[in-house]
Amino acid sequence: MKEFRTLLFLDWFQGLFTRLGFDYRLLRRILQVKLTMDQRRVPTIFQQQGRKKGKDENRFIKSLWVYALFGLFVIPFIVMGDQYIFQLSITFTVLIFIVMTSMISDFSVVILDIRDHTILFTKPVERKTISLAKTLHVFIYLFFLTGSLTAIPLVIGLINHGLSFFLLFLSGIILMNILIVVFTAMLYYFILQYFDGEKLKDIINYVQIGLSIGLAVGYQIVARSFEFVDLTISFTPEWWNIFLPPIWFAAPFEWMLNGNHHVMILILSCIAVLFPILALILYVKALPTFEKNLQKLSSHGSKKKKAHFRFGDGLMKVLSRSNEERAFYRFAHYMMKNEREFKLKVYPALGFAIIMPFIFIFNGLMDGSREDLLTSSMYLSIYSSFIVIPTVVMMLSYSGKYKGSWVYKVAPVSSRSSIYKGTLKAFLMKLFLPLYALISIVFIILFGYRVIPEIAIVFISACIFSVICLSLMKGALPFSESFEGVQQSDSWKVLPFYLIVGVFLGLHYLALQVPFGIPGYLVILFVVNLILWKTAIKDQ
Amino acid sequence: MDVREPILSIKDLKKRFGSKEVLKGVQLDVYKGQIIGYIGPNGAGKSTTVKIILGLEEEYSGQVTLFGEDISASSVEYKKRIGYVPEMADLYDNLTAEEYLTFMGELYGMEHETAKKKAEKLIGLYGLSEVYESRIASYSKGMKQKILIISSLLHNPDVLFLDEPINGLDANSVMIFKELLAQLAAQGKTIFYSSHIMDVVEKISNRIVLLHNGQILADGSFEELKNQNMEGSLEEIFNQLTGFNEHKETAAEIVSVVQEV
Repeated sequence: MKEFRTLLFLDWFQGLFTRLGFDYRLLRRILQVKLTMDQRRVPTIFQQQGRKKGKDENRFIKSLWVYALFGLFVIPFIVMGDQYIFQLSITFTVLIFIVMTSMISDFSVVILDIRDHTILFTKPVERKTISLAKTLHVFIYLFFLTGSLTAIPLVIGLINHGLSFFLLFLSGIILMNILIVVFTAMLYYFILQYFDGEKLKDIINYVQIGLSIGLAVGYQIVARSFEFVDLTISFTPEWWNIFLPPIWFAAPFEWMLNGNHHVMILILSCIAVLFPILALILYVKALPTFEKNLQKLSSHGSKKKKAHFRFGDGLMKVLSRSNEERAFYRFAHYMMKNEREFKLKVYPALGFAIIMPFIFIFNGLMDGSREDLLTSSMYLSIYSSFIVIPTVVMMLSYSGKYKGSWVYKVAPVSSRSSIYKGTLKAFLMKLFLPLYALISIVFIILFGYRVIPEIAIVFISACIFSVICLSLMKGALPFSESFEGVQQSDSWKVLPFYLIVGVFLGLHYLALQVPFGIPGYLVILFVVNLILWKTAIKDQ
Repeated sequence: MDVREPILSIKDLKKRFGSKEVLKGVQLDVYKGQIIGYIGPNGAGKSTTVKIILGLEEEYSGQVTLFGEDISASSVEYKKRIGYVPEMADLYDNLTAEEYLTFMGELYGMEHETAKKKAEKLIGLYGLSEVYESRIASYSKGMKQKILIISSLLHNPDVLFLDEPINGLDANSVMIFKELLAQLAAQGKTIFYSSHIMDVVEKISNRIVLLHNGQILADGSFEELKNQNMEGSLEEIFNQLTGFNEHKETAAEIVSVVQEV
């Protein structure tokens, strides 16, 4: 096991820890093991990349430059002017979002590691040493994370606004971190109090998905937001500002640097200091109960309301004729719904597919007037939601629980094509249709009823496109391979399929130019769709 | 036998989870060199007892004395003389066996080098040398179990708590393990063996303690249990004592449901 610079740094405080009654040798060793294990985990931000086996590399440290990059987002808000309450509220919102989400998505593993219970607690190690190791572990992580995130903004602040700004900013960041740690732990504490571990894992999973989507969309929004920010608005504090933590941290700047002595500003500044400290005290008090609740993580909830298959059931009966295919339809539906690792890989793409068409429309709005847009064929941007299809069709072959795929071989499945068909239909109905329906509703509101037939055309095109993707990719059986097998190069494989989307778009555009083109095209697509589903997926 | 000082002494141990009383006054004295087969139906309170002794569960009533010291009063030092194989194969499995085992040794106060050398020898004896430096996550169930066993023995403990320790081991490894237990007991180690596999418990333990509904229902050697008007194998004695005699009826019902199709 290798040596860590962090630990060498910690060694300076060895005397202090020993004097406080901790076994420093064990403390150090536990931290060393924990840090080694961290190196072997892939942070969510990097999840998109292929996992390279073999050498230990500090993936976390390597991911830090990404955070440094995110840190650049806030620089414009810092240098913009001296409307501090405004600028720093935005800055702290961004910082809190990034730190909080990566805390939840990547570091929950540390806080929630129940293996500690059987492995460490049974050993001759004092509880307080274990607790300190855990706390230091989180602290080290947060130090690196916020360090790389805020180092450049801090320096810029120092140059631009001087030393007092720098010191205020630095202490704001420290208080913010305390608040985030306590808040995260308290969040878990309450969830575990009322729900079981499975629920908590689900919630963490959704936060991870949210982080992935948030960062992807963040690029788009931040790039545009400067055009909307209006610095001439003067800020008047309102009572409800008390509930917005970013404003707390921004208030001291307004008070100290702009000499604003409004009562609200003073109150907010006090909260910024007092609240995190009070929260910390509460946290230390509640820690033992928290540890106890943690054990619920391993327990599985008994009561779970069984959701009915409802409307999907009838739909499935229409779509799938054979019982075998229906079985795989249901199976795929459950897998897509329940498997966290699968959701983590696929749901961000779904989110992105929802946003893509609107990004195109916003660009359209920038260029022309709203009237132009209404009569235009901008709604064809709905085709951009197709980007999700090849990605998901490719991902359908993978699963975190791929080892369960022996059932395919053991079960007497008469037609292999029904495995693929059932799975693909489940994807179209359960994942694609809901997101497509959402986009369609907004588009009908934006462009009027005239687009309804064309929306139908696009959906049938999506069905055809998925079959084409599936038969061209010739992937392994659904959910039968490990995600470790997903290679970086695989994401490039998806690119040629976007050309096919172009073909669909072109055909649609042509149909628009011909009289009765749209109804005609709709019928043709419908027939082609039926034929393709029957013929394209063959056994073996 | 009773002249000696007990290694472990449990007096009127009670523990409740919420409104449910899991242990209802357990009395037990364990002496040096005994192999105790600690058996009982699911939910009888076996693991809870072990967890209390290991200090994983607090807030119990009664007294637990280990090596002559009350565990609620003593520091964690007493754990240095305990080895533990948990039922769930909880391991830091993204470490290699080498890293994990040396870490375990160090937690028990061994020097890094000593722990490493010892772990390497034991790993070799268990036939795992080739995977010593690969991550535990890649191991089979039996290999993981061997790692757990080695980590419980590394620091030469005086008392061993084993919870389903042969889970996943192949027949040859099981034979080694059984012999190992016998020899360790002969050296004066005390072993607490809890399992649901009755034939193994019957063969290896020289004292059987049966826990049912949070109370000790039977305590004695296999012969002694047989002499108390009970017939047959330990499995049958177990069924009799826990009042379960519907296995035939239940099985028949299952069969009839299976045939419905």
